[in-house]
Amino acid sequence: MGWPFIRRRRYADLSVSIQEHLEEKVDELMESGMSREEATRTAKREFGNVTLYEQQSREVWQRANLESIAMDVRFAIRQLRKSPGFTFMAVLIMALGIGANTAIFSVVHAVLLEPLPYQDPDRLVHLWHVPPQSSFPGMTQFAVSAANFLDWQKQNTVFSGMALGSGGGFDLTGQGKPESIAVGTVNYNFFSLLGTQPIYGRVFVPQEDQPGHDHEIILTYKLWQSRFGADPNVVGRSVTLDGSPYIVVGVMGPKMTKPDFAQAWVPLGLTQEEAAVRGEHHYYAIARLKPGVSIAQAQAEMNTISHRLEQAYPADDKGWGAVVISMRDELVGDVRPALLMMLGAVGFVLLIACANVANLIFARALSRRKEISIRSALGASRGRIVQPLLTEAVLLSLCGGVFGLVLAHFGIDLLVKFFADKLPRMGDIGLSNTVLVFTLVLSIATGLLSGILPAWSMIKADVSEALKQGVGRLDSDSGSGLTRSVLVSVEVALSLVLFIGAGLMLRSLWNLQAVDPGFDPHHTLTATLEIPRHQFTTPVQESQFLDQLVARIRALPGVEGAGTVDNLPLQGGSNQPVAIEGRPVVPMSEQPEVSVRVVTPGYSSAMRIPLLEGRDIQQSDSANSEAVVVISKSMANQFWPHESAIGHHLKLTFLPDKERTVVGVVGDVKQQGLDSAAGIATLYYPAAQTGDSSMGPWRPFSMSLVVRTQNAPETLTPVITNVVGQVNSSIPLDNVMTLDAWIGSNLTQPSFNMQLLAIFGLLALVLCAIGIYSVLAYAVKRRMREIGLRLAFGASLRHVAAEVIAQGMKPTLIGIGVGLAAAIAMGHVVASLIYGVSARDFATFVAATLIIVVIAFGASIVPALRATRVDPLKVLHEE
Amino acid sequence: MTKNSDHRDLFSGALELMILHSLRLKPMHGYALVKHIRQVSDDLLQIEEGSLYPALQRMLKQGLLDSEAGVSAKGRPTRIYRLTKAGRRRLEQEFSSFEKMFAGITRVLAVAKV
Repeated sequence: MGWPFIRRRRYADLSVSIQEHLEEKVDELMESGMSREEATRTAKREFGNVTLYEQQSREVWQRANLESIAMDVRFAIRQLRKSPGFTFMAVLIMALGIGANTAIFSVVHAVLLEPLPYQDPDRLVHLWHVPPQSSFPGMTQFAVSAANFLDWQKQNTVFSGMALGSGGGFDLTGQGKPESIAVGTVNYNFFSLLGTQPIYGRVFVPQEDQPGHDHEIILTYKLWQSRFGADPNVVGRSVTLDGSPYIVVGVMGPKMTKPDFAQAWVPLGLTQEEAAVRGEHHYYAIARLKPGVSIAQAQAEMNTISHRLEQAYPADDKGWGAVVISMRDELVGDVRPALLMMLGAVGFVLLIACANVANLIFARALSRRKEISIRSALGASRGRIVQPLLTEAVLLSLCGGVFGLVLAHFGIDLLVKFFADKLPRMGDIGLSNTVLVFTLVLSIATGLLSGILPAWSMIKADVSEALKQGVGRLDSDSGSGLTRSVLVSVEVALSLVLFIGAGLMLRSLWNLQAVDPGFDPHHTLTATLEIPRHQFTTPVQESQFLDQLVARIRALPGVEGAGTVDNLPLQGGSNQPVAIEGRPVVPMSEQPEVSVRVVTPGYSSAMRIPLLEGRDIQQSDSANSEAVVVISKSMANQFWPHESAIGHHLKLTFLPDKERTVVGVVGDVKQQGLDSAAGIATLYYPAAQTGDSSMGPWRPFSMSLVVRTQNAPETLTPVITNVVGQVNSSIPLDNVMTLDAWIGSNLTQPSFNMQLLAIFGLLALVLCAIGIYSVLAYAVKRRMREIGLRLAFGASLRHVAAEVIAQGMKPTLIGIGVGLAAAIAMGHVVASLIYGVSARDFATFVAATLIIVVIAFGASIVPALRATRVDPLKVLHEE
Repeated sequence: MTKNSDHRDLFSGALELMILHSLRLKPMHGYALVKHIRQVSDDLLQIEEGSLYPALQRMLKQGLLDSEAGVSAKGRPTRIYRLTKAGRRRLEQEFSSFEKMFAGITRVLAVAKV
């Protein structure tokens, strides 16, 4: 029944029926004595609107099989082909808007929306300590202590499973060239808690999580591929880690990347001593919520337990709380605000694109007004009038969507490259099915949104009014003129908000680049010395190696200075309690905490951290001489605000065997990041004076090498690599880069935010200009006759031009007002993403407004000039 | 009253009921139907004649009616409409529900009188 030819026959039958009806009636009426004309008139009157009834009768068949939509699509394609300029513009605008949205959405989807690759991932949480705010102002998450974790495990009723993990570097030897790999040390139940299965072999069993039995290793997919040639028989093989044999028991799938640094996993195997340590925090903890338990409930119970532990172990636990964070928030919480802001911004771009296309459709719809009026007068229903317009709009936006996908494809490549390792879960980004569905829905919605306003104004248009007027004389579109002005205002407002956002990001980036990090990053090369776990058995051995290495490097031509530090600035590092001589003795948990850095002599001068008082750490500060420290200005101010810090004594609680003397004060360095607060209390002590640790057997730490050079630092890379190899061939040199590049990598995120917003702002700017221009150009075209008349009656050219410009500036100014208000109201959205500038920064607001005004003015000038070139005679002749 | 969503109002339902009722006796073509409806409704149903045709198409689509090529009383080609089985059943249903409704109304009015 749905076949077109059957339908066509039905229509013919219908016409035959109606035709016969009328003829029979005319016959009868004539038989009763009427003239033919009179009879025909009467028959038609009593029948009603033939066209309308015929159409209604046909619609009965059409509704179900979408015939009219197919017809509309064909009609729309014909119409669009007739005006390729319009079609090209509209599709281009849509493609830009939809493409940008698709690209950003694919990132948001992969990073924020896609479930984590674990079983029932919403029940997985991370557990952290919350450190005492007196010692760690502003810090909300802190590594977990082993003894506290075991007590949490014993006392809680909210988790169905908990696991502890840590990590470290291991030397992998015996499989080709020696390599230092990052290994996650985890409880045996780590994998079953996450609910991930190995693709080969098995996970750890409980016995393997005991010291002495913990020589098993599970490989990540990546390591298995790169180091073991994806050998499916790798399980059961023995590999050598730090000189001891480990049995490969399993290989995990490619999606198992937790913790993200891990290249392999070995059992944690805590010793009794390690498990008893309460006051030191070296672990991370994950847990699975029992069914029906919310994060808030778990948090409440962790608070209770923490409180209990504080009472039981005040020396270690006073002020230490705990926090429960969903695994998803843990992973993506940091990037969520930036991503959502981007999604919002790109949504604005799309709205502007919609307004633009709506404007274009408007202009076309108005020129088709007569056609539409006639159809309406002939009895076409509102639906039949609106449908072709909407079909056309949706067709345009679907085409836009297709090209948008192409743009998005390249855009995603670009995004992935930019974000690189700044974002978690980048590997999953792409045009997935969900993203494609998103684009499809977005395209249709975009089309409907663009088409609905023009269509609505067509229905409202006064039919008889339109019919009375000739085609060339349609100037009474004041109502739709208003609608179009509103569209311009909307575009301006949205663009202004985007501009202000981009402006704020730009200011932030400038501010960050202008931040004084406290050291001189130019002409400096850095590299990481990955020191294997069992390379040195005492701190003295390690410091001897470092001294030897630094001495060799200093002797190289072109080197001005060199030194080493355990953690470079900007990346954070160790925070430790200190006991200051002469102050009341308090338990560790109440001791003040400072940043502690281990250095070798020459570090401060190589970094050009200014020495403010006293002396720097020297070669003569050896294991046997008096123990010394150099402190930052902030630390000096914090502890000895009214006197010189030099000569005072203190103890590092974690290295309590030595009393240390302050011998120098150096300038503050941004330890945590460029946007971190200046002036973190920092203490530097010489690696040679590490002494005995309270933490059990000593383990060497990896160091960063800093080399100040006379010329381009990169040129020294091969020489330095060579020297390291000569001094100790088993120590690999990693992450060789200039300090400038190191700072640059810390600016990636803000600069990327800025660049993206700037691109969106620019896009908005272009769209906005097109919008204003098209509205004005059209208005001038319609008022040609009126302008001609006025010129004929002696109106000045300047007056006419000024009026056209005013016509464009009015909606612009309204839009600016709305946009400014919106930007002020939305300040909190960007507040967390900007640095050193207020979200309501006056200068930024003014600059953005000026740009919009200039653009709007520029877009008004061409139509205004065209208005002044109207030839009165020619226009009046056309009458 | 009816389950058909195409019935936009009572009027349209009434028209269709009258079509069903008229065709119950014999198949008819459009104009004959109009005349018959006029006659039996005593011109109470003031409709434009044309509105018959969308209604006929709706009923054809629902399978209540069938149509075939035929000639009018004057020998002109036209379509003859007849009830299908489904149409007959529908008519019975509508009748019984009408009857139920009238019965209800009568009872209510009778009570009111007391």
